[in-house]
Amino acid sequence: MSAAAMRAGGRVRSSTRLGRRLARPGLWFSLPALALFALFFAYPLFASLLQSFFTTKGGVSRPVGAANYVRLTEDPLVAQSLVNALIILVVQVPLMIVLALGIAYVLNQSWLRWRTGFRLAYFLPAVTTLVAYSVVFRVMLATDGGLVNQLLGVVGVPPVDWLNNEVWAKVALIASITWRWTGYNMVIILAGLQAIPAEQYEAARVDGAGRWATFSQVVVPQLRAVLVFTTVTSTIGALQLFDENFILTGGGPNNATLTPVLYLYKVAFRQFDFGYANAIAWLLVVIITIASALQFWFTRDRDARPRKAVR
Amino acid sequence: MKSRSIVALAAVTALSLTGCAMGGTGPAATSAPAVTASAKPTGSITVWSWDVAATALKRLATEYQSSHPDTTIDVVDIGYDNAYDKISVGLQAGSGLPDLVTIETDHASGYLSQFPQGFVKLDSVIGDKKADFDPSKWAAATGTDGGIYMVPWDSGTVALYYRSDYLKAAGVDPNSLTTWDALIAAGERIKATTGHTLMSIDVSSGATFGMLMQQQGAWIFDAQGNVSVNSPQAVQALTVLKTIHDKGLLKNVKGWDGRVSSTKAGDSAVHPEAVWWIGTLESEMKELSGKFGVVPLPAFGDSARTAANGGSNLAVPAQAKNPTLAADFAAWVLADAKNQASMMEKEGLFPAYLPALTEPIFNQPDKYFGGQKVYQLFAEQTAKIPPVNFTGDAAKASDIVGNAVVAAVLNGKDPKTVLDDAAKQIATATGRQIAG
Amino acid sequence: MKRLGLVAAYAALALGAVVSLLPFWWMAIASTHTTSELFATPLPWLPGPQLLENLARLEQSTEFARVMLNSLGIAVVYTIFSTLVSAMAGYGLAKFRFRGRGVLLGLVLLTMMIPMQVLLVPLFQMMASIGWIDSYQAVILPFLANAFGIFLMRQAFLDFPDSLVEASRIDGAGELRTFYRVVLPVALPQLAALVIYTFMSQWNAFIWPLLMLNTETSYTVPLALNRMIGLTHVDYSGLMLGSLLATLPLLLVFLFFQKQFIAGLLGGAVKG
Repeated sequence: MSAAAMRAGGRVRSSTRLGRRLARPGLWFSLPALALFALFFAYPLFASLLQSFFTTKGGVSRPVGAANYVRLTEDPLVAQSLVNALIILVVQVPLMIVLALGIAYVLNQSWLRWRTGFRLAYFLPAVTTLVAYSVVFRVMLATDGGLVNQLLGVVGVPPVDWLNNEVWAKVALIASITWRWTGYNMVIILAGLQAIPAEQYEAARVDGAGRWATFSQVVVPQLRAVLVFTTVTSTIGALQLFDENFILTGGGPNNATLTPVLYLYKVAFRQFDFGYANAIAWLLVVIITIASALQFWFTRDRDARPRKAVR
Repeated sequence: MKSRSIVALAAVTALSLTGCAMGGTGPAATSAPAVTASAKPTGSITVWSWDVAATALKRLATEYQSSHPDTTIDVVDIGYDNAYDKISVGLQAGSGLPDLVTIETDHASGYLSQFPQGFVKLDSVIGDKKADFDPSKWAAATGTDGGIYMVPWDSGTVALYYRSDYLKAAGVDPNSLTTWDALIAAGERIKATTGHTLMSIDVSSGATFGMLMQQQGAWIFDAQGNVSVNSPQAVQALTVLKTIHDKGLLKNVKGWDGRVSSTKAGDSAVHPEAVWWIGTLESEMKELSGKFGVVPLPAFGDSARTAANGGSNLAVPAQAKNPTLAADFAAWVLADAKNQASMMEKEGLFPAYLPALTEPIFNQPDKYFGGQKVYQLFAEQTAKIPPVNFTGDAAKASDIVGNAVVAAVLNGKDPKTVLDDAAKQIATATGRQIAG
Repeated sequence: MKRLGLVAAYAALALGAVVSLLPFWWMAIASTHTTSELFATPLPWLPGPQLLENLARLEQSTEFARVMLNSLGIAVVYTIFSTLVSAMAGYGLAKFRFRGRGVLLGLVLLTMMIPMQVLLVPLFQMMASIGWIDSYQAVILPFLANAFGIFLMRQAFLDFPDSLVEASRIDGAGELRTFYRVVLPVALPQLAALVIYTFMSQWNAFIWPLLMLNTETSYTVPLALNRMIGLTHVDYSGLMLGSLLATLPLLLVFLFFQKQFIAGLLGGAVKG
């Protein structure tokens, strides 16, 4: 297995065999995307990196070397926002992926009635526009008379100060993200489940595997690529968290829900320190790269057992 | 490495394509552009605004066009919620802004200090009208070089709204609420008789704390731009809020929504709010008509009995294609008693242009307030709003101040200690000195 | 015992569905009240009589029908081309080795990893310098190559058996023909998921269209709804109604394309 393929989490077998003989079609297939990225993102990425070495004061921009990066290490808000993002990542991503996998698996069963209805119900949160999301969740989470506290009141739980308490604000944030994105990941996993050939289930049945064994030994390994995708993208989503905390808490109380992207947004668009904001962004790129590489590495095909192709 | 050279090549191509050597450094001009007054401006301009402000400008644009032939004014409602993202990107990119933009007072200093060449100096248009405008608004619209860069629009003059029924039940005369001590004493009586809290405010926003500082002429920064958030006046302001909370007289709510809901539910007896709160009361709480009155804010000793919260300005970006017409239109709309009064009447925008405040509409009794001449009260207070120095670092300081207020008021810390600590944090973040 | 498990499964699913749908119930209720009533404590839980008034005001203040059409046009064009670009690039990256593959993969990952917020200003400068501000191509083109879409399709094609491609090639089919006759049909479920995702992301896109569009009549739905949030007045009932109506096209897209998941269902599911 080549190092490059391993980094990318790919299966070497397929890319090399076809690949060696067929380099050109691969380029042609990728050309539209390559051209679009080069046209529209090469310059912004370059400009962003360049600007992280500049600072602007009173409308005049001047180079400051690595000063913005040095400042990163001394800024307590950078550290705190990273810790917050990490807590949210560690709690929220596994919770959501497990939920999405479970729901997708059940919603893929042929015995289940009202499948379409259930799928729609679970997917709906993902389609909410941000502006509606912001209004509804502020209403739901209001301390006095909010819907959530009203419901808790029915079962005798006293009102929770969701958005003003440092711990509850994180809980509310995690719950809101999970509400919004579980259905979205469910759809991707559902699509992946469809690609599992029927023979695999048959084989498991012949081997006398029970429901759980079928799930853990056939379904989950077959979904590897899809689960890697959902985990990596959800991890990036958690590390880049912005919309939900921007709307619900603004990063408060006492910076308990401040995330790196919310912080860099404030630095850039409220304080106009674009140089420093870009430095935060590139620090985040490094962190996400490490996190993604780790995830690819941990989920790599260890036994590299050749898989039966559909014939 | 082959791949790296391709990236570099692509980047260089894109660079030469756009002709921008540095990503977002703003306009390269070294001094701020100015506009000269023209007797007969012509051409067309685009204006960005939002909400009722956009409605008002659209209405007045039609009038302007009919009295000024050969002009076209196109007003675009860009929505309030993310307007500053749009404006900031345009300023930073050095392109893409229209001829006239709406900017709120608390954002004005930040833009003017960070983009000193980003706006057109308007001294030749309204420079001689300083005495005619709300002094706090004029100060905020003044650039670092002392020139005037924005035309003040509406004032957020603050006063104390009260529930007359609650005060009556507790035997409190609203005119006796002349000091914060008197108000707190009255609050205890109201709580004992009616069970209602004294005030519903969003503690974490720090807005009320800001008002209490401003009425004493103090703020996060002093006139020299040094950090003064731990001044005796600031400690006094925070102590008042803490006392109100510690006596069980404060209801903490979240944001504008929370204040509206709490007021509608009748939680609290008084509301220190700006003049635009009248519009909110009359549209969202029709059923409470006749139950409110207004008095000036309680004072600290001989301090002012008002402050500012909100209000906007019109500014001409340096990128404007027709700055002459833009400046003329802005002055025609805002430095004019009749037009300002018409916006009060039709859109509820309270003028920062003082001559407008003598128009008859400000002298009329308001049914919602049981016939009280509330606008007259606000009109009298507007000229007395103490100007404060927002500086370009207000945004950097605001989260730190909000956290300090929460620590003192809700979490029982000592006001002096938290403000000393906040002052240190702000000094570190901004590179400014601590005053004193 | 088995019956009990079944009941438990349905109960759990139903509970989850209620949690998912609760905010929508409230949005629907809110659309039938005046904004003033939405500030009441406790909040209304049952429908009110204001639906038609709210609808009329929504249309009058935002030209809602028109902006729905704007959004629809943008989202359809974007979805068609972006899905195609993603599927092709995903296939190319998963199945072939070529020069530039590393660059493309790197760019894909980089655009996913860097926060959008810091790219806005330079991208805006580019659009301004080529005079595209206030145009639909500026809304659509820069994000046509979508990193998430390419990554999704790459992961989908990784498991696609080489033997099928080779068989098609032995039959004398060209590369393009192999792609859309052999490869795409097998990946239909993922392609459907990609269409849903792509349509949704463009339909709900906010900050970039906000920066690009400067004419009220060319606004998209999120921009029009944003206009209802004012400085001192928020038209919550109109906003909730507009948001609810804005989800309808997304529902139709979802219902139509999720059939692709069912199409493969007989092959894939465990019979219980």
